[in-house]
Amino acid sequence: MKHLDRRALLRGTGAAIGAGLMASSWGQGNQLIRPTPHHLAKAKRVVWLFQSGGPSQLELLDHKPLLKERQGEDLPPSVRQGQRLTAMSGNQATLPLVGSAYSFARYGQSGAEISELLPHTARIADRLCIVRSMHTEAINHDPAVTFMQTGSQIAGRPSIGSWLSLGLGSNNPDLPTSCVLISKNKGGQPIYSRLWGSGFLPSKHQGIPLRAGKDPILYLSNPPGVSREQRKRALDALAQLHTEEARRNPLALERQEQAELAWRLQASVPEVADLSDESEETFELYGKDSRDPGTYAANCLMARRLLERGVRFVQLFHKDWDQHGSLVGNIRRQCRETDQGSAALVQDLARRGMLEDTLVIWGGEFGRTAYSQGPITATDYGRDHHGRCFSLWMAGGGIRPGMTYGESDPFGYNIVRDPMHVHDLQALILHLLGIDHERLTYKYQGRHFRLTDVFGRVPRALLG
Amino acid sequence: MIPLPLLILGLLAPQEDLAPKAYAILADRCFPCHGPDANTRKAGLRLDERAGALAMGKRGVAITPGESLHSLLIARIGAGPEDVMPPPSSKLVLSVEEQQLLREWVDAGAEYPRHWAFDALLPPRNESREVIDVLVEESLALGGHKPADPVSPTAWLRRASLVLTGLPPTLEELDQFEAADPKTRKATATDRLLASPRFGEHLAAPWLDAARYADTYGYQSDVYRAVWPYRDWVIGAFNRNLPYDSFIVDQLAGDLLPNATRDQVVATAFNRLHRQTNEGGSVEEEFRSEYVADRVNTFGTAILGLTMTCSRCHDHKYDPIPQEDYYSMAAFFDNIDESGLYSHFTNAVPTPALDLPTDDQAQRIEQLREVCAQLTLELDDLTLDPSLLAAWRAEQEQASAPPKGLVGSYLMDEREGAALRNQVQGKLAGAINGPVNWVKDRPGGGLRLTGDHSLSFVGNPAFRRWDPMTLGLWIAPSEHMERAVILHRSRAWHDSGSRGLQLLLEEGKPSFSLIHFWPGNAVRVRATKPVTVGEWTHIAITHDGSGRAAGLKMYINGALTECEVVRDHLTRTIVGSGEGHLTIGERFRDRGFRDGSVDDLHVFDRELSAPEVVFMARLDDQGLITGWKDPEVRNADWTEASWVAAFEASPADTVREAKRKQLYAARKELADLVDSLPSLMVMAEMPTPRTTHILDRGAYDQPGRQVQPKVLSCLPPMDPSAPTSRLGLARWLVQPDHPLTSRVAVDRFWRLLFGRGLVGTPENFGVQGIGPWNQELLDTLAFEFQASGWNVKQLLKRIVLSETFAAQSCAIRGADPRRRLSAEALRDQALFHSGLMVEKLGGPSVKPYQPAGLWKEKSGQVYTADTGVGLYRRSLYTYWKLTSPPPSMLLLDAAKRDDCSVQRPETSTPLQALVFWNDPQYVEASRVLASVILNQELSQPERIERIFRKLTSRRPNPAESQAIAGLLQQAQTDYAADLDAAQALLAVGASELNADLDPAALAGWTVVISTLFSHHGVISLP
Repeated sequence: MKHLDRRALLRGTGAAIGAGLMASSWGQGNQLIRPTPHHLAKAKRVVWLFQSGGPSQLELLDHKPLLKERQGEDLPPSVRQGQRLTAMSGNQATLPLVGSAYSFARYGQSGAEISELLPHTARIADRLCIVRSMHTEAINHDPAVTFMQTGSQIAGRPSIGSWLSLGLGSNNPDLPTSCVLISKNKGGQPIYSRLWGSGFLPSKHQGIPLRAGKDPILYLSNPPGVSREQRKRALDALAQLHTEEARRNPLALERQEQAELAWRLQASVPEVADLSDESEETFELYGKDSRDPGTYAANCLMARRLLERGVRFVQLFHKDWDQHGSLVGNIRRQCRETDQGSAALVQDLARRGMLEDTLVIWGGEFGRTAYSQGPITATDYGRDHHGRCFSLWMAGGGIRPGMTYGESDPFGYNIVRDPMHVHDLQALILHLLGIDHERLTYKYQGRHFRLTDVFGRVPRALLG
Repeated sequence: MIPLPLLILGLLAPQEDLAPKAYAILADRCFPCHGPDANTRKAGLRLDERAGALAMGKRGVAITPGESLHSLLIARIGAGPEDVMPPPSSKLVLSVEEQQLLREWVDAGAEYPRHWAFDALLPPRNESREVIDVLVEESLALGGHKPADPVSPTAWLRRASLVLTGLPPTLEELDQFEAADPKTRKATATDRLLASPRFGEHLAAPWLDAARYADTYGYQSDVYRAVWPYRDWVIGAFNRNLPYDSFIVDQLAGDLLPNATRDQVVATAFNRLHRQTNEGGSVEEEFRSEYVADRVNTFGTAILGLTMTCSRCHDHKYDPIPQEDYYSMAAFFDNIDESGLYSHFTNAVPTPALDLPTDDQAQRIEQLREVCAQLTLELDDLTLDPSLLAAWRAEQEQASAPPKGLVGSYLMDEREGAALRNQVQGKLAGAINGPVNWVKDRPGGGLRLTGDHSLSFVGNPAFRRWDPMTLGLWIAPSEHMERAVILHRSRAWHDSGSRGLQLLLEEGKPSFSLIHFWPGNAVRVRATKPVTVGEWTHIAITHDGSGRAAGLKMYINGALTECEVVRDHLTRTIVGSGEGHLTIGERFRDRGFRDGSVDDLHVFDRELSAPEVVFMARLDDQGLITGWKDPEVRNADWTEASWVAAFEASPADTVREAKRKQLYAARKELADLVDSLPSLMVMAEMPTPRTTHILDRGAYDQPGRQVQPKVLSCLPPMDPSAPTSRLGLARWLVQPDHPLTSRVAVDRFWRLLFGRGLVGTPENFGVQGIGPWNQELLDTLAFEFQASGWNVKQLLKRIVLSETFAAQSCAIRGADPRRRLSAEALRDQALFHSGLMVEKLGGPSVKPYQPAGLWKEKSGQVYTADTGVGLYRRSLYTYWKLTSPPPSMLLLDAAKRDDCSVQRPETSTPLQALVFWNDPQYVEASRVLASVILNQELSQPERIERIFRKLTSRRPNPAESQAIAGLLQQAQTDYAADLDAAQALLAVGASELNADLDPAALAGWTVVISTLFSHHGVISLP
């Protein structure tokens, strides 16, 4: 296989699927391709702690004392540069600058500047690479989250997890290649299944949500009154029937394989979801929420368990970072819910020797404005969406630790050094996994589609 | 069997196919830099046209026909790393075989093929046998294959029933078919299936994928939209065998047909089923341009099989579709009075919308319209009663009572706390919400506003569209802004579709509107001249309650002002958005009256006459109440005519007032009736076409050159006598010389029957697509389809009756009917076999079982499953929420419906088996079918045979019977020992449990049937 162009292989696959050959399972099985990485991979797996709604970089990771000094002054036109605003604050008569209500300090040997809202994250400062120069074209949630997860603002493209499933396949046929964990009981801006969908890729590549409760995967449990043993006997009977059916159509044997895989899933998934074998000390590390399935902290712990078992891509969603108003109290609540779990996951991966080949990403779809949306009161303010400049952090998986990358202007409004576009981030993720983002393509509607469209550049400075 | 990729690449095809193969390679590897897109073309070289390839370039001639040694193209593709084409940076490579092929092609003369799909149909082949079978056999022979033997008669019936109706044959139908005359039974059965209403339901699903039909708007809030009347139109169209040309014309342009029927207008909802957003803060034009693009893309994919989308941002890289063509096409779809945002605070149907009255309602509406017209005429014809006038005038000349109908009078001269006193007795004061400045350049002073803070006036009437009224106030703008909100009673701008009434300054020109949903359902008049910056101007608006532009008058400084009518199409309510109070100076997410000043607001619940308005504008600051008391002031310049006009406008004219009351009552009844009607998003042209521009990189805020509506330049031109409208466009599609419409349609119907198409890529008939495996077959069917009057049922019947459809298998995948059933058919057959299915055509979508919490975790909304009938309708009617589609259907490869999709992939995953085993829908169906079989007086072997045959349409062999019997035996023994387990299993599902049956026996059978629902022979076509 080595001498063959991988792209041609992928194209061949697209054609074959287009012609209706059956594409089966997410595991090795009889899948049509087993692609080789394009270069040596630093990371084997990814966990993306997605903070949905657009967390404010100005209260968390990008300290801007000037905003405090000039609080209440109008955003200077020289800073805004005529860039578009959302129609929420775009019609405000004034755009008053507002400084963070929370203080920052420097942490670790790297001296990373982190907010008092993130004490646990601050403790792992030297493991982090903080990026302060993220930018995106989108300014509304739906297009922006879709852009982050699929490389396009328009619905219908495959999610990053499904690209990885296509490009790298599975490490554990008994579990999905890409899993999604959504924090329970959260308000805020909705999310949607297309964020982990397979777009135009075959649906076996779609991300599978794992949920708290009886059925971590939809339809996983047998109906009441049907035992595992009984299911096994039914499966054996089905095997006999399929053997007979295969005389007419050999695909019946493949159908039986899938049924047996389903039976194994019925055991392997509850095993992952059952936290009872975790130590007291581990629960303490993740915080008390981690004992409550479906919380962010419990999902962080679950993420580690999935990654340990070979799941390629784990996507967490934590909603309600959309602080147009009442920012001061709400962002504190959001941080309380997420800070310890995020930091614990990094530490836990590190002590298990998994951090070096697991990429952890923390961040949202955009940042927030330097000016207040609505009036600044004695105790509160709000911030509108801001895509021109925002922050996130990464750790592990071949990312250089203990660094801060990129720089924003003193208003936290524009990027002045090392901009990193959403497509660059996507290119970087693929690069760390050994994939050339320009070569992982899939032919659909006559075009070779990529996660990064026709853009993306790997920011080399971030590579460890 | 020939591996299809090899067939596609044509490596086994005969020599004369060199040109298409070479062209395909050039298209894939070279066109990105040397193709139709002028903006990305490198070195000025274009290889998509022969003339370009043969032209002298900077470094020589790319292709010298017949001389590969003198062709730069051939030299470069074989060059070393420095010079090689495609360059390493492109990550594209040419294999040795491909290089060789190009060399041979150049040596053979480098003939360029014309792309097959843009060329006319090949002439049809005439054969004594069914031409389908002749041509399939020819294709098979190319690979050294022969047709397979036919399947058994019952397997054929299973195939035909499932592909034509989506449901399997019953045991009775199988028996009858086996007993019927072999010569005629297939044709008879096909006719029966085509005549069944299930046919239309089954055929609708793939078209609904293409039409991106869904019950919600998509995007994040993903609110419900009632568009099911369109779905029902599609079902009906297939069932009554609407010719395919009409099917297309109605959907694209039914509204423009002469004497369009309601059905034809309903069909145009096809163009409105794109996703829509109401996300706060979105830029309206950004999303409107997205909607127009979606219409073009859907049109391109669903009807032409072309990837128009590629040309939205730049010239197409592979197909001859320049960006200009994209926007020329967009111009056809750009011309409806729509908004880029639907309303968050109201449930207004985005305009244009069609009311859907019942026949009775339609009749009553017609009557009421006549009544209103009649009463309006009568009102005009009333003559003056001089005695009443005289009495009233005498009273007025000395009266001290406030003028009739005055409900609000706010002088804004001083604040009482944060309040602005209402001079009308007993009425609530206005409120100052936030900082304001008092200005002194008006008598008594006025208020200067910030633009972010409002004045609100509680207790004024919620004027409806039939309520007459008058509003007057003084304003002084400090600058002319694009838009400034002066006075309104509404909740928000885009977020409520501007529902309510509003007085704006638009570039300084006062405009007044009554709005249901802006812009398509509203009335707006706008002064032709701006007011003066820095000066106080009095503005008054009167409305006669007609809800029409003609019934609105605007007075500037007391003088009736010339206005342009911006919109005059208000048909629905202007209240009901939670609009709050009459408000000045600010509105939610809108541009307020920044640094503008206001004074003296007066509100009347009747239409004032002109002299009364003059009087209002002439007052300094004593206000109407005080001013009215002073005949000196008031009567200064009143003429006889003024008195008459004022009298006629007042309730004192009791004759007129009585007639007005009748008119208002009739208008109210009409309005209430219309407001109660359901309505549907459809197409309707604006009287003045919008100008359409090329959008640079597809961006809404980068308009370039203006374009006119025009069809694609790579296809035959439009009949010059046809209108330049969507109707012309639609008729162009079905012109006899159109090479794509009939091919795309035939391919789709073939795909319906075989699971795969004649063309490899139904979404792309262009250069980069995978062409037909037998073009002659495609073209013959397309030609004869047109010749038959686009008769869909006839086409399907012909294919179903072919030997090809009856063959056990076929070495050509695109002619082998065997495949897994669709998501819909799988669930439907479980309901059908169990007898649970409720067959009812059409209506609102239903909510069957769904695992709890799926909506909640995404959006906080709650999914409440139906009870009763809604659990058991065909899957076509299952509520489709775009951001959280029915999970079991997605796992079974249903299209996502976010955008146009013309092919569902078929995948096989373990999660599918879990659905069949554990989804309550299947468990319940298993239990109910188990009780059906147990209720029949049969032996166990007979029951086993019956169940197996029912589910697979064939009899089990002994090994199969034995496997089932073994499982049944074990399960029944288990359940006999554990009756609680049996009861637990039998409790699944909402339908009633047959308590007379032995629970262990019933539970055992339930397990057997549930297992069979995952059997390949049950979930597949034989």
